[in-house]
Amino acid sequence: MNTFWSAWIMFLVVLNLSITLFLFVWGMRVKIPTLPDGTSGHVWAHGVLREGVRKLPLWWVVMSASMFAIGFTYLALYPGFGSFKGLLGWTAHDELARDTASNEVVLSDLMQRFSLYSVEQLSHDSSATHMGARLFGDDCAACHGRQARGNALLGAPDLTDGDWLYGGDGKAIMASILDGRHGSMPAFGASFGEPGVTNLANYVLSLSGAAHDAAKAASGKPLFTVCAACHGVEGKGNPALGAPNLTDQIWLYGGDIATIEETIRKGRGGVMPAWRARLGENDARLIAAWVYAQSHASAEH
Amino acid sequence: MARGYTYFEAVEKHAGLLGILIAIMVSIGGLAEITPLFMEAHKVKPADGVKPYDPLRLAGKDIYVREGCYLCHSQMIRALRAETQRYGHYSIASESVYDRPFQWGSKRTGPDLARVGGKYSDEWQLLHLTTPRAVAPDSNMPGYPWLAQAQLDPDEITQKLRVLRLLGDPYTDADIAAAADAVKGRTEMQALIAYLQGLGIANEPQAAATATPAEGATP
Repeated sequence: MNTFWSAWIMFLVVLNLSITLFLFVWGMRVKIPTLPDGTSGHVWAHGVLREGVRKLPLWWVVMSASMFAIGFTYLALYPGFGSFKGLLGWTAHDELARDTASNEVVLSDLMQRFSLYSVEQLSHDSSATHMGARLFGDDCAACHGRQARGNALLGAPDLTDGDWLYGGDGKAIMASILDGRHGSMPAFGASFGEPGVTNLANYVLSLSGAAHDAAKAASGKPLFTVCAACHGVEGKGNPALGAPNLTDQIWLYGGDIATIEETIRKGRGGVMPAWRARLGENDARLIAAWVYAQSHASAEH
Repeated sequence: MARGYTYFEAVEKHAGLLGILIAIMVSIGGLAEITPLFMEAHKVKPADGVKPYDPLRLAGKDIYVREGCYLCHSQMIRALRAETQRYGHYSIASESVYDRPFQWGSKRTGPDLARVGGKYSDEWQLLHLTTPRAVAPDSNMPGYPWLAQAQLDPDEITQKLRVLRLLGDPYTDADIAAAADAVKGRTEMQALIAYLQGLGIANEPQAAATATPAEGATP
């Protein structure tokens, strides 16, 4: 702030305080002429209401005086009077730095302890998974849902079912969180044609033993050699590529014939964003521990 | 002192005069608090990496304003520990020099969006803007499905860039010439998503980063 605006503020603050202080003092001392009946002569409602003359109430005087005291104290201690920084030298950013530092002390002790353990070990530590659950709620639940059950509309996987696209050990979960994942199922609508898509979809249904048209599935089978490159000859998937297992009952986008046809026709490219910059490794490990605990809790039931 | 009383009497008996005097005293406060910051605002220089909006994101910003997103979402991370821990570095004025009008705000029915760019995938943004409760069951945000049907107007964006250049934003002739093509055939939904994905400290679009599957994958 330059000198002009600083002086401008100081001038206005002094002006304002001078006027109000003057009125406050003068208002208590000014004589009010009193009529013989003890009123000021002001009447309302055709003389029904008449204004008496009394001193200012004590509570009002005390309240106003303390307002002045608070105001002057504030201007002395905190920034407000032009470029004067206040006797305390307080700034919002310093306070933030202090708060953050004192919070860091608490956190770094915890993180130090957590860093000694693997994700798998931390999944049994309730203080770690409690923090992980809170972080998951803020950062991950938008796609995977509050209960980590996934969202078929996005192809966000259910994290509790024990089935993993890229592997479910602590290391793989950490890699998924920190660096993200990018699904890359190509579109085959143009190369297979509509009948081909329907036939292939029936064959895919047959892999998991779902209801399908056997004749169409038989004519779709030869097309699957293309799919086998990622999903494997038996359709059991490939965690190195994130290609899902097609022989189980778990479907990312839905296991009905129309959805499978849509997947084959247009491909899929589900995106898990990378969280390294936003979360850092410590927070990611807590989330991974909670996720690991969820998948193993439900696997036991 | 009896004469002094007549001034009090005049103020007390004339509501108009009382009103004028109150307005004067309140204005002193406004002159002290608002004018200096208002007059100094044009001196704020863009932070490192803060560039004028590209045409698509500029169109998205105007849709954000038009649809009233600011009524529920602030774009100001306050300098408080709980805020910076959740949302990232507190907002600074030099990040918002190209926002006309700026979108800081203080009303949060939904979360702060100042650094939401790249937090979710484009697909998530699309689904969330179309049917919010499909991804956030407790959300009371309305859906904006019509944005996916509305096409952007290429002539309008050229005009906007010209006006912004008049106001001092450093768009080049080449920027303005390329603007119409940048939004041609794009929908308002795409523009809004591009805008949201660019909200952040670098003020640059951040696509959700991708990974090499090899790392950490179990064969």
